Formats: sequence, structure tokens, C-alpha cells
Amino acid sequence: MKVQNKMKLVLRDDYSATPGARYEVEGDDSGEVFRIKCLYPKIREAISSNSLLVVDLDGTAGYGTSFLEEAFGGLIRNDRVTYEQLKNHLSIISEEEDYLVDDIESYLLDAAKSAAK
Amino acid sequence: MFKSDFYMKKYYLDCGYIKNHKRRAKKKHARNLIHKAWKRRANALLSGKSRDQQHNSPRVSKKAEAILRGYKLIQAPDNLSFINNPNEVADFIWQLKQAFDQHQKVFVVLDAVMQIDYGAIVVLLSVMVRFKSFGIEFNGNFPKNYVSRKLLMQSGFFDNLYKEFSVEDSYQIKEDKYEGICTHAQKKVDSVLSSQIISEACQTIWHENRRCQGVQRALIELMQNTNNHASIGKTGDKHWWLSVYHDKKNKSVTFSFVDFGVGIFENLSNKQERSKFYNWKEKIKDKLFYGDNSGLLRLILDGSLHRTVTENDFRGKGLPGVAGVMKRNQISDLHIISNDAYADVGGDRYIKLTKSFNGTFVYWKLGETNESTK
Repeated sequence: MKVQNKMKLVLRDDYSATPGARYEVEGDDSGEVFRIKCLYPKIREAISSNSLLVVDLDGTAGYGTSFLEEAFGGLIRNDRVTYEQLKNHLSIISEEEDYLVDDIESYLLDAAKSAAK
Repeated sequence: MFKSDFYMKKYYLDCGYIKNHKRRAKKKHARNLIHKAWKRRANALLSGKSRDQQHNSPRVSKKAEAILRGYKLIQAPDNLSFINNPNEVADFIWQLKQAFDQHQKVFVVLDAVMQIDYGAIVVLLSVMVRFKSFGIEFNGNFPKNYVSRKLLMQSGFFDNLYKEFSVEDSYQIKEDKYEGICTHAQKKVDSVLSSQIISEACQTIWHENRRCQGVQRALIELMQNTNNHASIGKTGDKHWWLSVYHDKKNKSVTFSFVDFGVGIFENLSNKQERSKFYNWKEKIKDKLFYGDNSGLLRLILDGSLHRTVTENDFRGKGLPGVAGVMKRNQISDLHIISNDAYADVGGDRYIKLTKSFNGTFVYWKLGETNESTK
């Protein structure tokens, strides 16, 4: 599917320079809050307007795996966005830590597998 | 005689004045007696003897005093290094834990310590705060060895030995950021604190502000692990402790992280039915051989356990994530101790300990040759 235009979400500027825990109760700047307040509204908008959401992960202090898993895997698990929708409307950029892109892809696949069960 | 003297004399002889003066003198005398009695009691408490007795007897060592006052003496090993002498240090921690569980006041005998490292220091500090916050008396003496004594003094151990502590969610011992050892304790995942610690470390190593995403990941994974897994069935129950030592001369910073939770293997044995790792032994029995817990730790860190149990691709969550950070050269000299397993991850050395450590201890170094982002 060909998307019309691009939207950008820079995690450092739009959320936090110090992403933290998985859930809000575990600490500040959590993946859960990022998903609920930033990522999910943006991806929903991208899907409805047939746009591509580009999420830029660079410029932060660094990421815990739980933050990323909750933020991206949680879209499938909690917000019922499908893997195919994310494949068409989500793009991740990480020049400083290129392995994060593969990590997130595997979290999405895991979440899609669990959702299918 | 001046006129004023005449009036003052008359005043001193006045009945009202004399009565008032006598009353005040009596009160003051009573106060003095109370203070003297208090001082006598305080001296007796501090040394086990009255002041007169102290003056008339030869000096008694703090260790002997501790015995007199009913402390349990716990001898620290000569080599108080968790990395180089894990068995004896694990035994030492076990004795401290026993005393803590029995609410027994403790005197830690450190005078024979010849070697100490930052890992052992974070353990000592955390144990001290645990004792004090629960109102259990905790005392100790100085190592005779100059280097060990200096390190312990830099850590703020002796400064805090006589302080009061209460049960709190976070502690900070020694706030001096660029000198010696700084120790933090919390129950939550604090990514802002870890980021600040890393900035300070970068100043020591590169003399400029940099980001070390690998160290940040390691710290977040460990904090998250403590928060989620240190107690079985509870989250946010235990503190994590982190000591950071800045070695300006060698341009390196040492991180020692410890929690006194159940440890990796106890946690693994108690996985609930909803966990991916429930019944893991059965799932790997014909596929992986590990021998003891040290072999199992190797499988955990290289991801084989996760891959085999879950049949999913493994992207290094938790402790394996920390090992991944080392593989990417973002940290060096990674050591992990949990329960009866010891891993020198960089040296690929996995050993079963004779004494089990209740908790998880992780140590690594950050230096000039490690990856960072300007």
C-alpha cells in the first residue's frame, strides 16, 4: 500500500530525553505512557490519513528493552493495532543504535504471534 | 561609695531579692545535677564505663568494647573483594543477613582487611543502612591497611556509621559527584538519575559531556529487574543499590550494582503458570545441558535458555541485555554474581560458588576505549 505523506515523532523532543521503565508505576518516562500519550494517537492518525509515521529514536540517553517492548509491542497487545497496519504506517529510525530497529521488529512479531493465539 | 552602689547593696539585702536568688540557685543546681547524671550515663553508654573508670583503666579496643556491649562480631575476610574472593564475601554477607534476620546488633571487624573493592563497599553500605533503618545497632572498626581504609573513608561508610536512618524508598550516600565513591539506592527505575550518573562518568573519562546508551541500558535493565523480580509475587519491594567510583587517574569509572532479592535462580524456580518460563526445566531437558547454576547462567546470558523455552527469537532483555552491552564494547570487565553462580562474562569464566549469595550483584567498568556518543 502506498502512503500519501510522512509524519514525524522525535522521541527526545516529543516525549523524553531519558526514556525509562516499562510501566508508569515502575518509574518516570515509561514506555506505557509514551505509547498512550504519544505513539498510539500518532499511529492512529497516520493510519486514518494514510500516512507514514517516522519515529526517530536518536538523541536520548538510551533505552531499556522493556520501554521499547511496551511502547511498540503494546500497540498490538493493548491498542489492537495489527502488525500489517504497523508495517505499512510505521518506520523507525535509529542511527546511533542501529540494532534497535531489529529489536523493535522482533517485539512486534512476538506481540503479533501472541495476539494470534 | 557611689550612689548607685548604695542602691545595689540595698537591693542585694532586700528580702525579695534574696528569696528570688535562692530559688533560682536551687533550680540551677538541680539542672546541673540532672546534666551531670545524663553525662555520666552517656559516657557509660558510649564506652561501657564511667568517666572515672575510663581515666583509671588502660584503653580498651573498640572490638573488645563491642563484645562487652553484646554485639555479634562478624569478621570480614582479608580480601574483601566480591569479584576476586566471591566465596568468602558471600559467606560474610550471609552472616550479616543472619544477624539482620535475628535483629542482632553487629560489629563488623574490618581491621584485618588487606584488600577491598568497590563491589564490597556497596554491599557494606547497603547492609549498614538496612540495619540502621530497622533500628538494629551496627558498628565496625577501620582496616589497618592504609589503601583499604582510604577507600572505605572515601565511600562515606564511616561518616554514615553514626547517622540515623529510617526506612525510605531512596537513599543517597556521599553526594560529592566527582570524588571517590557515590552510592544511590532506590526501588523504582530512575532513568534521569542514571543519565546524570553517566554524564558525571563521562566528565571523569573524556572531560566532556557524552552519552553512553549502553550503560544507560545496563542500568535500566538492572533497575527494572530488581523492581520486577527481586521479590517473588511482589513488585517494587526491594531496593537496588548502585555505587559509582570515579578513577580520575586511570580515566575510568566503576559501577557496582546490588540487590538483596531472591536472585536469578530462586526467581526462575518460582515462575508462575502464566510466565513464559513456567516449567522451563521440562522444556529444555532434552535440548540443553547446563550442569549447575553457573552453566545455567551462561545459557541465560547468551540467550539459549530464552530461545529454547519460548521458541522465539531472542533480543536480549534483562541480564542478557547487559551482556549484550558488553559485547558491543559499551562496557568492560562485566561480572555477575547471583545465588551460587559467578560469571566473569568478559573472561568467559563461570564458576559455582560454595556459598550462595541471596541477591544479584553486577559489576562493570567504563573507560576511554568503550563506545560513547558525543
